[in-house]
Amino acid sequence: MTRHSLKRAFVGALLCGVAAITAPGAFAEDLYGPIPANPTMGGALNMGLLVEPPGLDPFHQAADARIRVTVLMYQGLFYEGGNGEAIPLLAESFEVSEDGLEYTIKLRDGVVFHNGEAMDAEDVAYSYNYIRDPENGSPGAGDFSVIENVEVVDPLTVKFILSAPNASLPMTLGNKYGAVVPAGYFDDPSAKNRMNAESVGTGPFKLVEFNPNSNLLLERNEDYWEEGVPYLDEIDFAFLPNSASMLVALRNNRIDLVKLERPQDVQQVESVEGLEVERWPSLNQKPIDLGAELAPLDDVRVRQAIALAVDKEEIKNASVGDYGEVITTMPAGMADAWGVPTDELSFMSRDVEKAKALLAEAGHPDGFDLTLTTINGYDWMDPAAVTLKEQLAEIGINLNIQRVDLGVWIDNFRGKTMGFTFNDWASQPDPHLLFYRHFHKQPEGADFRNWNNDEASALLDAGRAESDPQKRKEIYADFQKVLAETVPTIMLFSADHVTVKNGKVQNFSQHPTGWYYGLARTYVGE
Amino acid sequence: MASYLAKRLGASILTAFLASILVFMLVRLVPGDVVAQMMGQAGGAEAEASLRAFFGLDQPIYMQYLIWIGNVLQGDLGTSWARGLPVSDMVGKAFMVTLEIGIVTLVVATLVGVPLGVIAAIYEGRPLDTIIQGFNLLGLAAPVFWVGLMLLVGVSSALSWSPPLRFVPPTRSLADNIAILVLPVASLALLQAAAYSQFVRQNVVSAMHQEYVRTAIAKGVPVRLIFFKHILRNVLVPIVTFMGLILIQILGGVVIIESLFALPGLGRLLLNAIETRDYPVVQGALLLVVVAAMVVNLVVDLAYRLIDPRLRTA
Repeated sequence: MTRHSLKRAFVGALLCGVAAITAPGAFAEDLYGPIPANPTMGGALNMGLLVEPPGLDPFHQAADARIRVTVLMYQGLFYEGGNGEAIPLLAESFEVSEDGLEYTIKLRDGVVFHNGEAMDAEDVAYSYNYIRDPENGSPGAGDFSVIENVEVVDPLTVKFILSAPNASLPMTLGNKYGAVVPAGYFDDPSAKNRMNAESVGTGPFKLVEFNPNSNLLLERNEDYWEEGVPYLDEIDFAFLPNSASMLVALRNNRIDLVKLERPQDVQQVESVEGLEVERWPSLNQKPIDLGAELAPLDDVRVRQAIALAVDKEEIKNASVGDYGEVITTMPAGMADAWGVPTDELSFMSRDVEKAKALLAEAGHPDGFDLTLTTINGYDWMDPAAVTLKEQLAEIGINLNIQRVDLGVWIDNFRGKTMGFTFNDWASQPDPHLLFYRHFHKQPEGADFRNWNNDEASALLDAGRAESDPQKRKEIYADFQKVLAETVPTIMLFSADHVTVKNGKVQNFSQHPTGWYYGLARTYVGE
Repeated sequence: MASYLAKRLGASILTAFLASILVFMLVRLVPGDVVAQMMGQAGGAEAEASLRAFFGLDQPIYMQYLIWIGNVLQGDLGTSWARGLPVSDMVGKAFMVTLEIGIVTLVVATLVGVPLGVIAAIYEGRPLDTIIQGFNLLGLAAPVFWVGLMLLVGVSSALSWSPPLRFVPPTRSLADNIAILVLPVASLALLQAAAYSQFVRQNVVSAMHQEYVRTAIAKGVPVRLIFFKHILRNVLVPIVTFMGLILIQILGGVVIIESLFALPGLGRLLLNAIETRDYPVVQGALLLVVVAAMVVNLVVDLAYRLIDPRLRTA
């Protein structure tokens, strides 16, 4: 098995950077993944997907299963570099005004939409003005709310005008929500639906067909703006509703590549000749969330006691075995760049006696009953819940486990009545995008956990406004200390991305977001 | 006959209408709607309200129902909220897949189950009967998903072969279609053949012990004639009823099998639509299931009348 580390990816990026200076025109960064030396052109790749995208509209559908595939068809102005840097994509370069309120962005020349029209500043301004307007119903609108207007300067230059300085703007203009589409695209009321039938992006692949409960077929974009890529003629994503049929299909070469949803499934394919298992660092996190609306979780001492009673290593081992990394206050994929040393964070190591003392101090010397919510279909949560129940029993908390449907869970979450629950989420590799909406007080943030912490909110505001990388890092370190001290969430672990491929698949790499950017650099050999 | 048919049809239409209201209300009782699903952990209240208005979810439920049923009566099942495709296309395509699996399974189960039951009855109490009853017990006890899983994994490791992933209708390639359906049909048919065989055996055995059979034997009527003319004819009525039940049961089992074998049928479509809270698809698919069940029942009823003259005057 190959384990890819993020550090090695940095070195790769740096080396490429050096090469770019001597060879102008080559791409400086590891956009979409490493460029292979001698790729084979053509051929088709069959990839299995365990979660079917609910739709392909990057403007109105937030599901991660949608983002994973639409990044191949649609592009934003920037690309989420694995190391947390926003790398120009449809942008070519940008300048920020002194006060941090104006971003002037130069656009890439020669970009053509899938419908054959050339992309210009009008399209860019239209697309971002559309998504930032909450009237248009995008789940991403909140991320773009700091944008006051997007103006056309000349056909290849746009100006983003902000209401407050925001150092994360380039990362926000990435590929999670929205994309650059032709100006006026949504004027037609049926346009939203049409995105499931034909793509109108600028990405390396075009949509051929999207068949519910069956497959998603993409083909090479012949007019793609990067020279010589992509290599594959076709990518056929088959929707496989369960691990068993996926593993069987993999063993019999009905599919060439898959990203496992349950890392434990590796055992079924590890020993199969011709299959290669690879592990990649990820940005996801599996936390316990503690909604302060649920008494006695409104008492910070109770939350601290729970933090002290939790053994993250044991929960991680029960849930994903070796295929994950215990974390403190940052997902594994961002820990190197933004993390705080564990010894500077409170309540990180298990201490049952201290936990009991805190509970007694809070008026619960004999513990209490508590209900943990888990979500149907998230396999890691079941073993984790049982393990947590045993751990909390040691400090007298009697845990009832309640399993709910995702729809029910999302309703509770959005209604800020999540209570005591497992969660499973990820963001782009930027601390502002990771923390702000989840943890800032209302109305600026959503504060799903009813944390209502002034100090943390002030730090989040400061972090958003600060553009100096070193100062930003310090601000977010302080924020993480507050997070650890007052426990609105207990981040348990990040599960690795685990991919399995057969010998045909060459040069595939898995981006830490879990999105399939790497397919734009993949080719098939013998 | 004509007045009977008219009565039955009238009752069916009323049932379908009531079912449509029930289905409409039920899907809306499930917490979380399509907008919450689209927003996930992101989004703000304003964007949410705007999307809700787009889908018409901001209207009172009775208005939503009236709009929907009005369109349905004009033959328009609406557009899928998740996929943007016409519901009638999605449901129609999926239904054809499920129907094919159902009918093929029914034929296979009948061809296997009925002879097995008859043989077991003829050899009542002898070793062959015991063996067949053993098979019946196994078939009835094994859950469909388990049989399917065992077949999938077993065949794949023994033959290094697994069914193609993309469904191909028989009209495009019969060979591919068979390759795709052989395992799912086998998994479903095992249970149904066992149920059939058990049922047929009991009916034939009890018919064989009837007095008219004894009389016929005493009169010297050839055994073969007794069997085909008297016993089988009598047993046929319950078998046809049973066939209808089995077809409906198969349609239920198909939901599991479609998910296991990645078949784009009605069951999986429905499951996915419920997960994404795609109400128009859920409503359209369930309406079709209700209508299909009613048609099956009607056909079974009419079939009785053809087989059993006593019922014709009723």
